[in-house]
Amino acid sequence: MAQVEQFRYDNAIVRKFAYATMVFGAVGILVGLLAALQLVFPALNFSTAETTFGRIRPLHTNAAIFAFVGNGIFMGVYYSLQRLLKTNMYSKFLNEFHFWGWQAIILAAAITLPLGITSSHEYAELEWPIDLAIAAVWVAFGVNMFGTILKRRENHLYVAIWFYIATWVTVTVLHIGNNLELPVSMWKSYPVFAGVQDALIQWWYGHNAVAFFLTTPYLGLMYYFLPKAANRPVYSYRLSIIHFWALIFIYIWAGPHHLLYTSLPDWAQSLGTVFSIMLIAPSWGGMLNGLLTLRGAWDRVRQDPILKFMVVAVTAYGMATFEGPMLSIKSVNAISHFTDWTIGHVHIGTLGWNGFLTFGVLYWLIPQLFRTKLYSQKLANAHFWIGTLGILFYAIPLYWAGWTQSLMWKQFTADGFLQYGNFLETVTQIIPMYALRALGGTLYVAGYFVMLYNLYKTIKAGSFQAYEEAEAPARVATAGAHKGEHWHRWIERRPVQLLIGSTIAILIGGMVEIFPMVMIGDQVPTIESVKPYTALELQGRDLYIREGCISCHTQMVRPFRSETERYGEYSKSGEFIYDRPFLWGSKRTGPDLHRLGNKYPDSWHYNHMLDPTSMSPGSIMPVYPWLIEDDLDNSLLPAKIMALRTLGTPYAEGYEEEAIADAQRQADEIAARLRKDGIDGEGLEQKEIIALIAYLQRLGTDIKPAPQAGN
Amino acid sequence: MNNQSIKAGALMAGLLLLAGSTQAQDAAGGANDPYFYDNFLFWSLAALGGVVIIAAIAALFHLLNVMVKVNQIRIFQEMGIEAYQEEVSKQREPFWDRMYKKWTDAVPVEKEQDVMLDHNYDGIKELDNSLPPWWVAMFYITIGFAVVYMTYYHFTDKGPGSAEEYEMEMERAEKAIQAFLATQANLVDETNVTALTDADALASGQSIFNANCAACHGMLGEGGVGPNLTDAYWIHGGDVKDVFKTVKYGVPEKGMIAWKSQLSAADMHKVSSYILTLVGTNPPNAKEPQGDLYEPQAETTQPESTEAEGADENALGMNE
Repeated sequence: MAQVEQFRYDNAIVRKFAYATMVFGAVGILVGLLAALQLVFPALNFSTAETTFGRIRPLHTNAAIFAFVGNGIFMGVYYSLQRLLKTNMYSKFLNEFHFWGWQAIILAAAITLPLGITSSHEYAELEWPIDLAIAAVWVAFGVNMFGTILKRRENHLYVAIWFYIATWVTVTVLHIGNNLELPVSMWKSYPVFAGVQDALIQWWYGHNAVAFFLTTPYLGLMYYFLPKAANRPVYSYRLSIIHFWALIFIYIWAGPHHLLYTSLPDWAQSLGTVFSIMLIAPSWGGMLNGLLTLRGAWDRVRQDPILKFMVVAVTAYGMATFEGPMLSIKSVNAISHFTDWTIGHVHIGTLGWNGFLTFGVLYWLIPQLFRTKLYSQKLANAHFWIGTLGILFYAIPLYWAGWTQSLMWKQFTADGFLQYGNFLETVTQIIPMYALRALGGTLYVAGYFVMLYNLYKTIKAGSFQAYEEAEAPARVATAGAHKGEHWHRWIERRPVQLLIGSTIAILIGGMVEIFPMVMIGDQVPTIESVKPYTALELQGRDLYIREGCISCHTQMVRPFRSETERYGEYSKSGEFIYDRPFLWGSKRTGPDLHRLGNKYPDSWHYNHMLDPTSMSPGSIMPVYPWLIEDDLDNSLLPAKIMALRTLGTPYAEGYEEEAIADAQRQADEIAARLRKDGIDGEGLEQKEIIALIAYLQRLGTDIKPAPQAGN
Repeated sequence: MNNQSIKAGALMAGLLLLAGSTQAQDAAGGANDPYFYDNFLFWSLAALGGVVIIAAIAALFHLLNVMVKVNQIRIFQEMGIEAYQEEVSKQREPFWDRMYKKWTDAVPVEKEQDVMLDHNYDGIKELDNSLPPWWVAMFYITIGFAVVYMTYYHFTDKGPGSAEEYEMEMERAEKAIQAFLATQANLVDETNVTALTDADALASGQSIFNANCAACHGMLGEGGVGPNLTDAYWIHGGDVKDVFKTVKYGVPEKGMIAWKSQLSAADMHKVSSYILTLVGTNPPNAKEPQGDLYEPQAETTQPESTEAEGADENALGMNE
């Protein structure tokens, strides 16, 4: 027997991450509630750029995913890793660097997103300097984790750690892949890839951010905290092995299911569909191992709020991972995509799986850290029921809204007309559902604050021990292997091989899908008439990005009769070759804009941006008065032109010199047209609105009226 | 709750049954689309049939069970207690218990020490239960689905791509529209349109106007982004035929939308008629006149309108 060694678990870092989790959970859901209310009461956009939905929505998603769940991951990892490996963390400096670095990134996000500094890639909105900071902090986390693993006293790595390792390597790869961008200035960059390629890479990232930030690390937490809380053995070791490897291998392939019926080539869409279907079993493997671990403890589930939270979390995980593949079937996706069904679906995952598992962990962990009992089981039970009710009130109205709106979009009269030709009718129809959803959100928030109070009282009553004494025998590297052991034990003793193995598993799918799209030219048939944006249109496009129009408007007419009748010719991949970044969007709270160009007069857009209800009575779109008040800043224009030319947009040599003059020429024309329609104003030619109108009037006009460009 | 919401609920029930890639879109076509009810009825009947079949199978099993019991009683009566006990011991567990065990293949909680692995991770132990066979079967089935799907859509000529699917959908819709129009007479177009005068049609014209036209032409037709419709000056002609034509085809270069893809002929008829009633109303804040003075020729339109009324009713009927 090896010599027993004394060491101390570092609980201080765990407590820090736990506090951050609690704070940013509140921030994330409150900002989400604001966004939900803005859809019902547009006045809550406050006529201020920084608080308008298009900027609030990314703030909500980033806060919920990276601040709340992110800190939750680190809290759970720093607690469980030390104990599963029988050692303290590798480096105190890296602990602190990781913690403060991550909070600094959150702060930077909270400042830049409301300012409209965004790459517009969903869940990767942060601009390049923050991307670099994320990379640095993430690497620090990785070094700290691997340093800890290498100095472990436990020979074998438990399944939770396999998930931590896969999470770390995959997030690294995804983060780098989706943020390949060329800086123009400190707070502006353009992505290396354009159009369809950018879309494929973004959703390879976006889908796997869900997979490897919201799922795999939380499966790791489940594998530690659920058996701890239930005091039951994990149901099946063999199931852990199969579902771990199958999950990380298959997940990566499924990204294109976010792009069904878009201009992405059919073969890539089909891969997205079939790999999503094949994901059901690996995902359910995790759910089964969680739920079946509770065999023999179901009587306790009735009383123990911690287990209740965990059971609902794992069940929500199972529901969401069954629904996801169903939504990846093209015929279902034709109904669900761009509607609130998707929003309902993701919130089953986030509110149910991530939220409730975090709550379960916090209720278990805080009393452990503070060496006391939970202040009130009753309040925890109350939180459980309020929260569950909140999820139901959140999700069911959104499912209903999604189906209703989708059916209305597709409804034709017998003589072949859209029954609801005015998009707005399909929006006003579902506003009551939005109100109910906001009620669900309110309940969830209320429950959350009940938890904060409960935990605060627990913390007050307890005494924190920053460094917890522990002991374990020293590791004897050769002691692990024995005859007849499961073959997988081999890799469990070899963290580096495990890292390499999971890296290979997660690289294959992305490479098979992305390489052909990027390398083979004929994947995107070129269209002769598609030309780069003019300087002013480019400026307008960057305003469209800044204002977060993509939160509510798509630019992707799908090949459906109901869409070509409503919007015009369906979108072709060749139309997007100068779109850096692509702006296809993922949700239609407002109509698609890809064929908006030349549909309305300039003055319509001017009035509409000033007050949407003046042109569309009943519209829930926010007002944008600052676009009319503020002068357009052209100082970056030459640098933007040069950056885009470097990336492959064929601007003529020297165009950057005349870009500002050219933009002004076009602005003067538009301003003249506006003046003719009776719109006047001091320095109208200089205003931001002019650039935005230039861009909106350009949209989709390259092939309009449409010659049948091959696709 | 309107019709759409109810249909959304119906869709919820039938949705997961729909696997064919074009079926669901047809189903989503809704009440006026014959595919919707065909499909919905079909799947409802299929679901009902499925329930009946399952119930019948369950009843058969029950009957079988009763017969086995009866046989045991007969053995007991004829051959005595020993023969009976032997017979009962031969009988295995109930079917469902056996199936449950077979498909989950779980070691019972009481015997879990037998499959407890020797590792202990911070107090967490692991059992070595088998992979649940139903789970393994599901995994294989999804892999099979993937192979069949990719083969069907990408390695044979059978599965349509997105673009082909779209063409098929448009063809089908065109046929359905033609079939419908063949049953309709007296279609209104710019060559035969006459101004409607009955109050219902004008009221409905007004609501169409308010929803679609008022944004640019003002709630009272006083003009705004678009021209004033209440004066006697018209840029594209002030006869009902001209107005209908402007509404129908639009004036895209000036920002007037072609409404033919969004409004039915009957609706354009009503709204054009309503617009003509605005002439001379002198609303406040009216935009200055544009275009040419147009004077209606009362004598020529008047006699036609009585004659046209019957036809108009037919034309209106088609949208209801």
